[in-house]
Amino acid sequence: MGRVFLISFLLGVLQASAAESPYAVSKIPAHLLINAHAVIRLDETRFEVNSLKETTLWHHYVVTVLEPAGASHAVLQEYYDPFREINSIEGILYDANGKQIKKIKKKDTDDLNGTDADTWIGDVRRRYYNFYHKTYPYTVEYTVEITNKESFFFPRWIPVGYDHVSLEQSSLRVITPASYQFRYKTYNTGEPVKSTEKNNNISSWQISNIAALNDEAYTPLLHEIVPAVLLGPSEFQIEGYKGSMNNWADFGKFITTLRKDRDILPAATKQTVQQLAATGTTKEKIIRLYEFMQQHTRYVSIQLGIGGWQPLDANFVATKGYGDCKALTNYMYSLLKEAGIKSYYTLVRAGRGTGYIAGDFPAQQFNHVILCVPDDRDTVWLECTSQTLPAGYLSAFTAARPVLLITENGGELINTPAYTGKDNIQIRNVKSVLRPGGDISLNVKSSYRALQQDELQNMLTRLSKDKVKEYLHEQLDFATYDVDQFDYHLTKSALPIVNESLAITVKNYASLTGKRLFVVPNLMTRSYRHPILDNDRKFPVELNFGFIDIDTVSIQLPPGYKVETMPGPLKLSTQFGTYSNSIEVRGDVLYYTRTVEQFTGRFPSSEYNNLVRYYQSIFKADREKVVLIKE
Amino acid sequence: MTRGLLTSILLICLAGIKTYGQQPAARFGKIKPADFESAVYSIDSNANAIVLSDIGSTEIVGNKKGSFSLEFKRFRRSRIIDKNGYDLANVEIAIYTKDDMEEELLNLKASTYNLENGKVVETKLDIKESVFKERVSKNTVLKKFTFPNVRPGSIIEFEYRLRSDFLFNLQPWEFQSSFPTLWSEYTVSIPEFLNYVTLTQGYQPYFVKEQKDKRSSFEIVSEADPGKLTPTATRTNFSAGVSDFRWAMKDVPALREESYTSTLSNHISRIEFQLSELREPVFVGKTYMKTWTQTTADLMERENFGGALKKDNDFINEILPAAMAGATTEQAAARNIFKYVRDNMSCTNYNRIYTDNSLRTVWKNRRGSEIEINLLLAAILLKAGLFAEPVILSTRPHGYAYDLYPLIDRFNYVVARVNLADKAYYLDASRPGLGFGKLSYECYNGHARVINSAATSLDLRADSLIEQKYTSIFFINDGKNGFSGKVQQTPGYAESYQLRNEIREKGQPGIISRIAKAYGDDFDVSQLSIDSLAVLESPVNINYSLDWRWGNSDIIYFNPMLGEGWNENPFKSAQRYYPVEMPYVMDQTYLLRMDIPEGYEIDELPKQIMVKLNPEDDGNFEYRISVSNGGISMRSRIRLKRAFFLPEEYDMLREFFNLIVKKHSEQIVFKKKK
Repeated sequence: MGRVFLISFLLGVLQASAAESPYAVSKIPAHLLINAHAVIRLDETRFEVNSLKETTLWHHYVVTVLEPAGASHAVLQEYYDPFREINSIEGILYDANGKQIKKIKKKDTDDLNGTDADTWIGDVRRRYYNFYHKTYPYTVEYTVEITNKESFFFPRWIPVGYDHVSLEQSSLRVITPASYQFRYKTYNTGEPVKSTEKNNNISSWQISNIAALNDEAYTPLLHEIVPAVLLGPSEFQIEGYKGSMNNWADFGKFITTLRKDRDILPAATKQTVQQLAATGTTKEKIIRLYEFMQQHTRYVSIQLGIGGWQPLDANFVATKGYGDCKALTNYMYSLLKEAGIKSYYTLVRAGRGTGYIAGDFPAQQFNHVILCVPDDRDTVWLECTSQTLPAGYLSAFTAARPVLLITENGGELINTPAYTGKDNIQIRNVKSVLRPGGDISLNVKSSYRALQQDELQNMLTRLSKDKVKEYLHEQLDFATYDVDQFDYHLTKSALPIVNESLAITVKNYASLTGKRLFVVPNLMTRSYRHPILDNDRKFPVELNFGFIDIDTVSIQLPPGYKVETMPGPLKLSTQFGTYSNSIEVRGDVLYYTRTVEQFTGRFPSSEYNNLVRYYQSIFKADREKVVLIKE
Repeated sequence: MTRGLLTSILLICLAGIKTYGQQPAARFGKIKPADFESAVYSIDSNANAIVLSDIGSTEIVGNKKGSFSLEFKRFRRSRIIDKNGYDLANVEIAIYTKDDMEEELLNLKASTYNLENGKVVETKLDIKESVFKERVSKNTVLKKFTFPNVRPGSIIEFEYRLRSDFLFNLQPWEFQSSFPTLWSEYTVSIPEFLNYVTLTQGYQPYFVKEQKDKRSSFEIVSEADPGKLTPTATRTNFSAGVSDFRWAMKDVPALREESYTSTLSNHISRIEFQLSELREPVFVGKTYMKTWTQTTADLMERENFGGALKKDNDFINEILPAAMAGATTEQAAARNIFKYVRDNMSCTNYNRIYTDNSLRTVWKNRRGSEIEINLLLAAILLKAGLFAEPVILSTRPHGYAYDLYPLIDRFNYVVARVNLADKAYYLDASRPGLGFGKLSYECYNGHARVINSAATSLDLRADSLIEQKYTSIFFINDGKNGFSGKVQQTPGYAESYQLRNEIREKGQPGIISRIAKAYGDDFDVSQLSIDSLAVLESPVNINYSLDWRWGNSDIIYFNPMLGEGWNENPFKSAQRYYPVEMPYVMDQTYLLRMDIPEGYEIDELPKQIMVKLNPEDDGNFEYRISVSNGGISMRSRIRLKRAFFLPEEYDMLREFFNLIVKKHSEQIVFKKKK
């Protein structure tokens, strides 16, 4: 009797637990399924500062993948290197009912190279695992424990942020010894709940029930629009080096210790510097030494151990002629120092249109180094990994963002210059002759300045003349064409200019049907932006690239044609920018002008559809045809 | 009597032998200021770097392991012209390894020379500190180094020896690279007791191609055997005939990638070797290279190939009922099993011709390489009593495979073939979007082999793959100054495959906005439906409504191709240096049937044309338009009957598409009735 009872009791428990399985897909609240490819069911992060020499990161998360488009969220990928050790990995696969199908451990994961493509030699590796499950929906659960053998890098917590992924619940717990102060900054979430436990302080954040986001264009940086917490140390240690990060000044002092005694040049190089810097103004000396550095070094990225943070010394670069951003910048610094010119090693988070740091939160947020040569009125910025950029010009890679100068007093946060619409100008003049059969010959003179020349400048200094020709043959927006002649002239200055001159023949540019010719008078500068109206726009609109384009076109028409239809002139003036064009025929020449100015700024989400309408109008106007008819 | 024997296959090789000329530098060092004099080289005035001299040799020598070793020597001297040539300063040397054996890199030397104040300054590579080792695969380790002190104008040179006990790994030679080369030379000395097959390809002529015979002595030492009573090493000396084969090219232009190319490796000027015979009396007469039937017989036995099919594989008995899904005919069983494998397995690694795991493990993990998945498929088909065989092939990015010799390295992909009553079907269960009997166009790359006792040869030609696209549009007056229309489109199989992948990865919403964008803002696209998305054997069917408002203008200009015309010539560059390899032959038909807009009359219609690509009619383009019963009918058809075109046919292709683009931009003009 007792026995029977026991069995039935157990069965009852088992059945209940199967039905109650916490990860059954049926338990996902309906509103989190809308527009979602995957649902984060639970995401718990625990970051523990054990000592200055060691921190532990424990990450436990559960993701339900609803359809193939969400499958990438079920993949585990964890990086490790000499400072970061993965202690354990556990993964479990569940079916739609939350029933366990498979379980894996660290030894089952793939051990792969984790060095980025830009790095020539590095020591980062990664652990990778994919269940490759193909019956949808399904759920994966991962638990990862990592030991960091330093206290320099603290993690950041941004639980939301993938497109088409909703979130049920996420939490962050930071555990520190009572004697240790960590720092944090929050975005779109509140203050932590604080408690103590066995001589430890615990701070916790929690968020839940966040619906899936749509992929939206022209948004601000992710951490500014979703809940996020940035963490940073106070005192820290990495390898033998100790420092403090309570403010930027202290962070800067630490970088100074890493660079201590690394600015010593060999005698021969010193002599060369003395010769190069013997005459001229300071500015001239800077340019001469920068060009010497560009001539005698090249960028080769070697990242091993502390070498990811500490520059190879100036002597190494002087004798081998190569180095990464840290080594080359430190070398340039040493050259200037030898010439008696003060400069500052400068940390930056580089990247085109991305990667801005939280300037009010001292923490390791950087990925690149440049050099700042200060002057009251005319500070010169030097990108030392480029063999071609002019002294004083920062491309879109590092312009317009907060950077950390390493000065004699430690670190100082300042902004790199921003290039505005008035700087980024493109002026184009096209003179062309339209043949009776529809072919057209163009003579194009264009001038591109500042950020508008970045891509072209990069291509011109990277490619041989043949390759440039090939590029031109591929890139222009004509159906069938030949580039008969091309020529480029680069003006090196703080606002560099590329002048381009092209002679092109386009076959059948104008479409000929019987007695009519159809000609698009905007030959070369057409806008490709064609976003789509979105009535559910969630995030503000951010436009961060300002520019001006000015075009003048003349088309010599074949004899005997008159205008049948001509699009009217268009003038648009919006908070996002202005657009105007004009078309007229005088004698047998068609004249077309077009001026666009793009503004920058942040606009409320409700303005998004106005931006779409503005861009769509430009898209359409840029492609309108003039119809000519034979008399 | 021929001594060392080299059997030679000339592939697409336009070889011409010229007379002997003077030779470039062949020894390391001794750089003089005069060597820096040229700033521009006549071979290519735009080059960023020039290979001045690239000289290699391979000899076969006796070793101390009782056998022979290959001794490869290489010397290369280059000139850096400008900063864009710095790539040449990063060097990687591939070392073959197997188990605990590894090829030995010896006597590596590298130096950079700069001219400073009229003097040549040498900077040596620090071998101990600056040579890095990186394992890239099971059998390959890379030794990497970068030259120190490189700047525009530098001369850089290296030399090394590579000693290999792997007699089959005779180093190939590439005469051409992405930089122009003034002199490239390779000498291979083959003793009469070995035979290698030579494979050459490319379009550059040889400047030297010669053979010289000589006699050389060899010494082999066999290691002492400590088990023997007298543990001394045995030493064997003998002499044998040796032939020195020497090839050289002069002024070789840089090789550039062009569009519609399967892979550059089909076109680079290269020579490579395959060990074919170990001969008596040195070896106990043994043919090393096998015939095709011997090769397939071996593959059928190999543990990591056909052996997997011979095993009992009893785990399949458990999955067979689910895989068969109640099929009662052969045809249905094959289809169900294929679908079952494809839909349950994930492919983690393509381009494998051997398995890494047992089929049982592959099934347990639900993942594997393409060979593992397709062998699993074959194994289940066999269990079901069907006749299935593996097929090896080389995909387009991997280059051509050879019919003549069984060179397994030339293959990189395995699919399955099942013979049913009606015909043989080729199956690839490793790609989720492929249907029964369908291979990706990448597999249509010429020679392939069935792994059976007959070693059946196959020819999977891109010419046999027809990408047929059909579009029809109907427009009728809606009585409100506009048209209401219906569009029906069946893209080709390759395009359907791509569309299915896109929908699987990103969902369907993106598709409709892309279609709408192609028509422009005056059109309204709605009610999109895509049929046959899950019927992977067929192309998809796309249907939608298309409405257009012409408003109140006096004249209407209307392009009858709507968003479906070719508005760009796919052949962009003005010149072509090697053949055009298209992935399939195209056949595109477009039909439009429309009312004349109410209240308007036709003012002008495009002219009809019908053109042939060439007199042989390897392609044609038809553009027909007519008016009847108050409506307009229009038809455009583009057909190409070949996928492969020679460089001299390039202009013809380009002109053909130019004409298509031109016709497709033409407009119909309607005028308001007075």
